[in-house]
Amino acid sequence: MFDTLRSKLTSFGNSRSNSLSVPVFDGAFKPNNLLEEADIVLERAGLEDLVADAQGQLFAACGTSVLKLASDGTPSEFASFEAVVTALAILPDGGLCVGLGDRVITGVGTTSERSVDQAEGTPFVAVTALYGQANGGLLICDASARHEVGDWSRDLMEHGRSGRLIRLDPASGKTEVLASGLAYAFGAYDDGTGGGPLVSESWDHGVCRVDGPKPTHVIDRIAGYPSRFAPADDGGFWLTICFSRTQLVEFVLKENDYRQEMMRTIDPRYWIAPSFGSGADFREPLQAGGVKQMGYLKPWAPPRSYGLVVRYGADLIPRFSLHSRVGGAHHGINAAAQIGDTLYVLSKGSGRILKLSVSGVRETLAGKGSL
Amino acid sequence: MSKTLTKLRYRYWPDHIFGELLQKPWMETAVPLVVMGLTVLFFSLQIDNFISTGNIADYLRQTSELGFVVLGLSLVLIVGGIDLSVASMFALCNLLVLYCMHVLQWPVAASISVTLIAGALLGAVNGVLIGYFQMRAFLTTMVTLIVFKAIHDMLNFKVAVAISSEFPDSAVWDSLGFGTIWSVPTIAYVFGAVALFSHIFLTRLRGGWNVLAVGGNRRSAYNIGLPVNRIVALSYVASGVFAATSAVFYAARLSSPGADTGKGLEITVLTAAILGGIRLGGGKGSVTKAILGTLIILLITNGLLRLATPAGTARIILATILLLAATLDIRWFKNRHKAIDEMYVSPTLLDLPEQAEDATGPNSVYAPNDRLHHVEAIGLGEVEAPEDVVLDQDDNLYCGSRHGDIIRFFAPDYKKHEVYARIGGQPLGLALDGDGTLYACVGGMGLYRVTTDRKVELVTDETNRSWLSIIDDSRLRLADDLDILPDGRILFSEATVRYEMHEWQTDSLEGRGNGRIILYDPKTKKTKTVLRHLVFPNGIVVGSDNQSILFAESWNCSVKRYWFGGPKSGQVEMVLENLPGYPDNLNIASDGNYWLAIMGMRSPAFDLAMRKPGFRKRMAKQLPLDEWLAPNINTGCIVKFNDQGEILDVLWDLGGVNHPMITSMREHKGYLYIGGISNNRIGRLKLDNVDETFVSSGRYNV
Repeated sequence: MFDTLRSKLTSFGNSRSNSLSVPVFDGAFKPNNLLEEADIVLERAGLEDLVADAQGQLFAACGTSVLKLASDGTPSEFASFEAVVTALAILPDGGLCVGLGDRVITGVGTTSERSVDQAEGTPFVAVTALYGQANGGLLICDASARHEVGDWSRDLMEHGRSGRLIRLDPASGKTEVLASGLAYAFGAYDDGTGGGPLVSESWDHGVCRVDGPKPTHVIDRIAGYPSRFAPADDGGFWLTICFSRTQLVEFVLKENDYRQEMMRTIDPRYWIAPSFGSGADFREPLQAGGVKQMGYLKPWAPPRSYGLVVRYGADLIPRFSLHSRVGGAHHGINAAAQIGDTLYVLSKGSGRILKLSVSGVRETLAGKGSL
Repeated sequence: MSKTLTKLRYRYWPDHIFGELLQKPWMETAVPLVVMGLTVLFFSLQIDNFISTGNIADYLRQTSELGFVVLGLSLVLIVGGIDLSVASMFALCNLLVLYCMHVLQWPVAASISVTLIAGALLGAVNGVLIGYFQMRAFLTTMVTLIVFKAIHDMLNFKVAVAISSEFPDSAVWDSLGFGTIWSVPTIAYVFGAVALFSHIFLTRLRGGWNVLAVGGNRRSAYNIGLPVNRIVALSYVASGVFAATSAVFYAARLSSPGADTGKGLEITVLTAAILGGIRLGGGKGSVTKAILGTLIILLITNGLLRLATPAGTARIILATILLLAATLDIRWFKNRHKAIDEMYVSPTLLDLPEQAEDATGPNSVYAPNDRLHHVEAIGLGEVEAPEDVVLDQDDNLYCGSRHGDIIRFFAPDYKKHEVYARIGGQPLGLALDGDGTLYACVGGMGLYRVTTDRKVELVTDETNRSWLSIIDDSRLRLADDLDILPDGRILFSEATVRYEMHEWQTDSLEGRGNGRIILYDPKTKKTKTVLRHLVFPNGIVVGSDNQSILFAESWNCSVKRYWFGGPKSGQVEMVLENLPGYPDNLNIASDGNYWLAIMGMRSPAFDLAMRKPGFRKRMAKQLPLDEWLAPNINTGCIVKFNDQGEILDVLWDLGGVNHPMITSMREHKGYLYIGGISNNRIGRLKLDNVDETFVSSGRYNV
C-alpha cells in the first residue's frame, strides 16, 4: 500500500533518479562476443581473483588456496589458508597479499607475514579487492560493514553504503581509512601519478577518485556494476564489470514490500538480482525478453548475468570493451591481468580463466587503426 | 489479518472493469458528457428552476430545431468537409415554405415537399462543386453562403409584405409550430425519429460506414472502390435537406420572413458540433455527439440569458468554453489508448500453495533427468510454432504453424511435408474424429475443422454472452485445446477473454480467472459456456470413465476434473494440485493414464510476485514488456499421471536444449510426439514397454 502511494506521489516529474532506465551499450561499449570466444586457460570451481607480478607470473585465488599458473595454464598450489581467499594483490617488492574476507595477510610465504583485521577501530567485514601501490602501500577495499563477501546480494538489496577504502603500510602495519560510506567498494587502483587512488562503487555504477575528505565521481552512469581494476600499458587500465543492469532490478530496488519479503523468504540464488552466472537453474527468475523463440535466445535479452571488461585510457575515457552476451557462459568477470600482449580474464560465473591477445582484439574491433 | 483483508479486497473489488470500460468505443464521448453534466450542475446551482417541467418542452423544441441543422453539418464534417452555408439555406427555405403556405396557400404536405426538395437542390450546388469538381469545401460553402444570402435578401424584399399579410388556416401547420403530443412538442418526435435513424445509419448501415470511411481516409476509400465523389456530394445534399427541415419547423413556429433569419447560425452550429467532439478532420463522429453538443450550447446560452449576462460577455464565455472543451477532447482522443494500456492489465492475488524446497529435487517424484535430450527432430527449422500434433490411422502427422497453416508430415520418416490446409490463424489444440476430419482450435478465430477433402469450415466462433461482463465475451479470442466426447459433442477451452492470441503472456501477469470451458453440440449447432472464471484453462482430455474431462489451469498449476455426464454431472474436482510448473495440453496414454505437458517451471520470485498484485501492476505500468518478470517457460517437462493424481513418469529437457516450452505431446504407436508453441520443430521419442499399436486419435465421431 505504501509503495502504491509513494509511486503515485513521485510520478509527477520524471527526474533521472526516479526513472528506471539504464544506460545502453553503445560507443566503446558496443557489444561483441570476444570474451565468449576467448581461449580457456584454466577451468576450476571457486576461482575468485587474478593477479600478475612484475615478472609475468600469474596467480589465481581459488577456494581456500592461491594457485600459481604456468604459461600453459597448469596450476600448482602456492599457498593454502583456512578461509576462502577473496582478494589478491602483489606489492612492488614481489610480496603476495591475500584477503580472507575479514582480514588481510601481507607478505604471504615470507618471514614478514602479517595479518591485519581492522582499521581505525572498525574490523574488516568484506575484503573484496586489494591493490599494491607503486610506493609500497596496499589499498584494501572493505565493501560492506554489514554483510560478508558471499552475502553481496543482500547488501545490494539493502542499498548498502558502508564500504571503505583503506591504505595499509605493510612495513609498519599502520592503516588509514581514505574514504568511507562507499556503495560497495569492489576494486581499487592507483596509477602512481599522485592524483589519488580510484575506487569502484558497484551499487552506484561509478568510479571515484579519492583525493581529499570527499571522493569525487570521475566515471558515472556505467552500464553495469564495476568491479576490480587491472593496469594496462600506456597508463590506462582494465575495468571489469561483474554484472549488467536491467530495469527490473532497478524496479525491485524501489519496491520495498516485495523486496523485503523476497529477502526474508527466498534463497538468495533465486532473487531478482544480478548474478555472476545464470541459466543453469530453472528456478532463477526470467524476464519476458529472455524467453527462447523458435529455439533461439536473443543476445540482447535482459541479462541476469553478463561478461564485460572495458579498457579505459589514462584520461578515464573508455576505449573499447570485450563482451560475452546473453546466452553465453563467460559471465561474471571480476578480475583481469595483462601480461605483455596477453590479457587474462577471470569469469567467476563459469569458473574459468580466459586469455586473449590485446593486439588481436584491437585489430578485430578497429582494423589496423589504433584504439 | 492484513492477508485476509488483501484476499477480500482482490476478490470483491473489480479492478478489471476500469480498463474494460475505457476501451469501449462509446467512451470517446466521455468529455462532452462530462461538460454537459458540469454545465447543468453549474446553472442549476445559480438559477432556480433551470430544468423544470415547464422548461423541458421549451428546451426540447429549441434542441430539435437547432439539432436538425447540427445533424446535417455533422454529416458533412464526418465526411471530411465543412458547410458554412447552412444559415443561408435555412433562411431561403424558411422564406420558401412561408411563401408556399401564406401566399400560394398550398396544402402542408406539398409545401413541405417543395421546401425539402429546394433544400436538397441548394445542398446539391455545394455537393456538385465540392464532390465532383473537387473545389475546397471552406471556400465554396463560404461563397454559397454569400450567394444564397443575397438571393434570400432579394426575394425577401419582394415577398415579405405578401407573406405577412396572409395567414394559412391549417391545424397541421399549427401543430407543427406549437403542438404537443403528451406535452412533448411535435418537433421533438420528428427529431427523435430522424436522430435514431441517423444513428442506425451511421453505425449499422453500409451507407453510414461508407461516409465514415471517406472521411477517415479518402484515398483508401477510393482504393477500395467506394464512389467517393457521390458520397461527398450526397452528404452536402443531406445537409441542405436537414437545414430545410429545421426551416420548416421554424417557419411554422414564427411565421416570420425576417431579414436576419439565421444570422450567426453557422457559427452556433459549428460550435455545437465541435463541443460535441466531432473532429474537424473527418472520419469520426456520431449522432450522440451532435446532440450533446447542441444540448450544451443551448443550456449555456439559456443559462447565461437567465443570469442576465450582457450579450458580448455571453459570447466570450461561450467561446472560452468551446476552446477548453475542444482542447480537452483532443487530449482525450489522442491519449485514450495510453490510459487504456496503463489501466487494462489488472493483476489479482493468486496465492498458490507453498512449493517445497526440494519439489523438483533428485529425490522427488519430479526428479529432473535429460531423457528429452535425445529426441529425434521432425521438421527442424521448417515448421514454426507447432503447438499441438496429431497423427491419423496411416501415421501421417498433422501440426499447426504460426503462418496460419496445418502442415502434414508424411509417414514413415516424416521428411516430406506439405501444407494440408490454410486456416489463417495460429492453430492450437488439434483432434481427429472417427472419419478423419481434423478439428482445430484456432487462436483469434475460434473452432474450425478441415474435412478429408481439405476444405476449411467454421464450426463455431461465438458463444452465449454473459450478462455481467463488460467485455463482449460472445466472441472467442483464444480457443486453446479441445476434445471430442463419446457422444460427438466437443468440449474446448478458451484460455482468456481479456487478451488476444499475440498477448497471451500478459494474462500470466494477471493470474485472474479469465478463462472458460465451452460446449459445442453438433446436432443442435449450439455453443454454450459450461464453466467460467478459470485461470487460463488449457489442455482438455476425456477421462477414462468417459463421463468427465480433465482440464489444466495453467497459472493455477493444477489439473481438475469436470463431469459432463453421469451422476456427478456439472461438478468439478481437483486431480493434481501444486504442480511444480504450468500445465499445458493433456492427452491420453496407451495404458489408460494421461500425459501432461508442463510448459514452464515455477520460480520462487514469480510465485511471490503472484501474491503481490500491486507490485505486478506497477511493473506493468513502469517497465516495457521485454523487462517484465515472466514464468520460466524456457524449461519444460512431460508428466505421466493416473486418475488418482499419482505421478508415474517425468521426462525433462533440462536447459531447454531441444524443447524449451513444451506445449503438447501425443502418444502414437510406441512413440511420443512433442510440440511447442515457441519452437521450430516437433520431437519424436521412442517409448519403452508401451502398446505399439496404440492410436489415440479418431476414437469418436462428431
